Amino acid sequence: MKIRNRNEGGEKIEVQMAPMIDVVFQLLIFFMLTLKIIEPEGNFDINMPLGAPETSSVTEPDLPPFKVRMEADPATGALSQLLFNGQPMGNDSTAFQRLNLEIFKSVNALKAAGPDALEKQEVEIDPDFGLHYKNIIEAISACSGKMVDGKMVRYISRIKFAPIREEN
Amino acid sequence: MKIKSSGSNAPDVDMTPMIDIVFQLIAFFMVISNFEQQQADERVTLPKNQLAKPPEVKRDDAFTLNVGFLKDKQGEIIDRTPYIFFGDEQIEVANSSNRLRQEAQFYRTIGTPLEDVTVEIRADREVQSGLVQTLIQKCQEEGIEFQRFALKATQKVSP
Repeated sequence: MKIRNRNEGGEKIEVQMAPMIDVVFQLLIFFMLTLKIIEPEGNFDINMPLGAPETSSVTEPDLPPFKVRMEADPATGALSQLLFNGQPMGNDSTAFQRLNLEIFKSVNALKAAGPDALEKQEVEIDPDFGLHYKNIIEAISACSGKMVDGKMVRYISRIKFAPIREEN
Repeated sequence: MKIKSSGSNAPDVDMTPMIDIVFQLIAFFMVISNFEQQQADERVTLPKNQLAKPPEVKRDDAFTLNVGFLKDKQGEIIDRTPYIFFGDEQIEVANSSNRLRQEAQFYRTIGTPLEDVTVEIRADREVQSGLVQTLIQKCQEEGIEFQRFALKATQKVSP
């Protein structure tokens, strides 16, 4: 039988480090490889009660919804015209800023009208079928608020879709 | 001259600092690993928006629908038909009713009212808007009847 540490006098217990280091490195490599850098995602809530869209237009007879109409270029799906209550806002990157400003003016008018009016006010998004979805998010964002010094000022929270338009 | 015999006395390496550092690294990667967003599908490129903030309170009952295009390894779209991705399965929006009905049935079985369930739609930035509307309409067909919807976007850092 082989006797270890024959020359040493003391009873020193040697801890085996190698297996632990093996396992620890395995874990380290596992976590490094499974790491996915995901950008934080946020939500925009959509108000679509059952029975919409047929009955939705008469939910508040005194308060017609703000209509945001978005026309698309049939060939590319890009935004060709943005209209707010029939008023053209353009089709470039500033169109949504203009929409945001118009919403802001309307929100101020609603605040003056009464405390409940703003909460009941709806926005109806009415896009062409082929319009790229990113424009919808831009429009919803323009209607729902604005970032001021890193904080969100909320304008309108009730956002819904108009009935689907036919595909061209 | 004294010659050392090879392999006799291995130099003693102090392992403690290395193990300290390695444990720190493991703890860091464990904490930073995001196990919550498992339902996110890489084939979907979400639109970016400044106002898209992650919800402060986590939703209890929510299921995610990923709508996007088939892409190659470089991220180029290879098929312009949008699909709903359920793991490896892909379904066209027009044929999604059965799958949505199963989902609704699941929530009924576990006793969750459908009006408390949020359908989170992760749609690719180039998907047709009408298709997203169609999907919402399909989620409200008879026997499915989901009522709460949320559209997802990635948070754009304000300039």
